Amino acid sequence: MSDIPALEVHGVSKKFGNAHALRDVSLTLRKGEVHSVIGENGAGKSTLMGIICGRLQPDTGTLQRDGKQVRFASPREAQSSGIAIAPQELNVLPMLSVAENIMIGAQPRGTFGISWSETRKLAEQFLHEIDEDIDTSTPMGELSAAHQQLVQIARATASHADVLIFDEPTAMLTDREAEKLFLFIARFKQRGGSVLYVSHRLNEILELSDSISVLRDGELVAQIDPAEATKEKMVNLMAGREVKSLHISGLRKQNNDQRETVLSVQNLTRKGEFEDISFDLRKGEILAISGLIGSGRTELGKCLFGLQPPDSGKVLINGREVVHSSPSDAIQNGLIYLPEERKKEGLFPLLSVAENICIASLDRFKGLFGLRQGAMVKRSAPYFSSMKLKAADPSIPISTLSGGNQQKAIIARWLMKECDILILDEPTRGIDVNAKFEIQALLTELTDKGLSIVFISSELQEVLDVSDRILVMHEGKMKGLVETNSVTQERLLQIAMT
Amino acid sequence: MTNINSIESQSGSSAMDRVKQVFRMDAIGILIALIVLCAAITIVAPHFLSGYNLTVLTRQASFVGLIALGQTLVLLIGGIDLSVGANSALSAVVGALLLTMYGVNPYLVIPLTMAFGMFLGLINGAIIANMRLSPFIVTLATWEIFAGLNLVITEGYPVRPLGAEFNWFGQASILGLPIPVLTFLLVAVILTWALGYTRFGRNIYSIGGNRTAAILVGIRVARVELFVYGISGMLAALAGILYASRMDSAQPSVGEAWLMPAITAAIIGGTSLSGGQGTIVGTVLGTLLMAALSNGMSLLNVSGFWERVVVGGVVLIAVLIDFIRRRR
Ligand SMILES: Nc1ncnc2c1ncn2[C@@H]1O[C@H](COP(=O)(O)OP(=O)(O)OP(=O)(O)O)[C@@H](O)[C@H]1O
Ligand SMILES: [Mg+2]
Repeated sequence: MSDIPALEVHGVSKKFGNAHALRDVSLTLRKGEVHSVIGENGAGKSTLMGIICGRLQPDTGTLQRDGKQVRFASPREAQSSGIAIAPQELNVLPMLSVAENIMIGAQPRGTFGISWSETRKLAEQFLHEIDEDIDTSTPMGELSAAHQQLVQIARATASHADVLIFDEPTAMLTDREAEKLFLFIARFKQRGGSVLYVSHRLNEILELSDSISVLRDGELVAQIDPAEATKEKMVNLMAGREVKSLHISGLRKQNNDQRETVLSVQNLTRKGEFEDISFDLRKGEILAISGLIGSGRTELGKCLFGLQPPDSGKVLINGREVVHSSPSDAIQNGLIYLPEERKKEGLFPLLSVAENICIASLDRFKGLFGLRQGAMVKRSAPYFSSMKLKAADPSIPISTLSGGNQQKAIIARWLMKECDILILDEPTRGIDVNAKFEIQALLTELTDKGLSIVFISSELQEVLDVSDRILVMHEGKMKGLVETNSVTQERLLQIAMT
Repeated sequence: MTNINSIESQSGSSAMDRVKQVFRMDAIGILIALIVLCAAITIVAPHFLSGYNLTVLTRQASFVGLIALGQTLVLLIGGIDLSVGANSALSAVVGALLLTMYGVNPYLVIPLTMAFGMFLGLINGAIIANMRLSPFIVTLATWEIFAGLNLVITEGYPVRPLGAEFNWFGQASILGLPIPVLTFLLVAVILTWALGYTRFGRNIYSIGGNRTAAILVGIRVARVELFVYGISGMLAALAGILYASRMDSAQPSVGEAWLMPAITAAIIGGTSLSGGQGTIVGTVLGTLLMAALSNGMSLLNVSGFWERVVVGGVVLIAVLIDFIRRRR
């Protein structure tokens, strides 16, 4: 290892309109280290990574690569200098195969143009460093969001870069896939590669990092040594103040047994996705669904929401059998599903933040002369504070918000629409620790008022924190239904595997 | 973003901010282009601004304009309707036959023709929305079918005369404005309102912006799509029958020349071909720009051959301006 850093960022600033996304940020990435960048939603992490990978141009400031000053006018230029990124949002070609997605732009050539067998072989090589289960010949669009995320990471590694940027790579992964990624990162480090790592999961930050930089409101506020860091310290630095509690556990009331059943799922089956799922959701309860990728949780949620019909089984809402043939049917019956993939399934990128929040409740804004646009801004305002949603103005397009803030807007959309049963699929994905706590508390409060929630999450700790009961699924089958206060993380994994 | 698309900000903004906001509006570029063009033509051909010429110009614009309005809705949901020109001609012929062969009351002929055109549009919509087929291919096919049926019915001969009572719609003016122009403006106002202030309109923007997400928030996407194609068909028929009334004759070939100018008007007005973005105001201005251009060139005796070159050039320039504006 030489002393010349792999990458230096000097005094970088970036403004969008009048808002500073980054202010005079400097950072050094040494060779062979994992450098984590943490900060609340909207702190400027993705903007910084965008500048380093050539997607954005800094207003002021410079980059140095191996001691030499560089300017990247495009991601392509950054890549040819050995910097690759696995971005925060999924950005894939759904119609092309996994192999081609990994090798796009670098397909090996044979005598008659592209050699497909070679392409597949190479792609497999890169992908299997990260995950062995994915078949490289499947069309990308057929993979789950989590698997797409893994392929996207493989694509970054396939560019032979020696600086890899990961922007929230584990947000959708379960612990098992995340472990595999960490093993890859360790091997990559050993080969002399350097990693810039962004995540809201503080445990993994502590586990992985060689150094940690903290961003707050676009400024670099601290560099901490992981050996001395604690979760509390990191959270306080990110927030810029003393944050009291981070775990909601204990807030839950446990006496749900006597309450009436609002949703009853009986032997629900959809071939190839899930089979024979039965459970009762009680009024005011949070029922979590836990399981590894491919356990059929998302498919179950979508089926209940009427996106795909079940092959057999029954669904009862308040004791009455229902058949949902479209989401609008489900919504009419008071059942709502928040999808896991916000960019593809949740966002209206061209519409304003306010309208993205109000879009599902437009009937409430009917006035004498049609929809009252001003009322939309006013009615969405409370959600900005209660969810810590950071936006310059409710009328700016939602695509200019940071990833975590977009997610908050989409949660707000469903909280505004009143319903009885809320199915949340990875709702806190990409949301910072502090805001996550606020949202969990908010959900708990809503259940006190009679809302019932099905909570799908890949993060075991979160499942244990928020739920009353946990349904464990594995490969489409129901493995158990347990009271939350009687289990631990280890026990949950055990149940899934047996 | 667009003036209609975004929601008015509640925060008190200064006058300067207001001015800046105006310049960020999608339609402003084309409005300036229109004013500059009109000024330029007036300098070389002063009678461009005469009342007579303006009447001719706007009336000519209103037929294509009606189609462009419908096309704007279709483009907003990420679709396209190539069958509108053929629909105009077929509907006009059907309407004219109702009048001449079946003696239907002239006041009834117009709504009946519109209903027929809507029916044709709904056929497009039903196929596209329910079977998820490509709108380009479906409407290419129905374009041929409508045009062919038209020839089968008329054998290529115009249906005429239509009678003075009926011709009133195409030829008369109210308060100095020709009825087709009034109709065009009225439809534009209704659609502006509908897009900005009704759920139907907001759903159109949502579907074009992200179809999957629209389904997931409970919007009945197929139903909205069906109606959008229906409206497009209805407006095409309206344009066709008004034109027949203006010419005292329903010609099987009319409308064929309307499709491209209509799409062009929507696009230079800022409507995105990939859906989700665009305004009615933009389309109205785009229509007027196209009409002023062609009118100006005929005043200046420019050959029709050159006209096409110039129109193509204008479209390119409009797209370039838009590109530069968005990059800033
Ligand atoms: N294209 C854009 N236009 C305008 N503002 C933007 C744009 N991209 C980012 N911003 C703003 O810059 C700030 C920083 O955003 P950034 O995406 O870097 O945050 P982040 O730290 O990655 O947050 P998260 O944890 O939510 O991903 C935010 O206030 C955001 O609204
Ligand atoms: Mg980010």
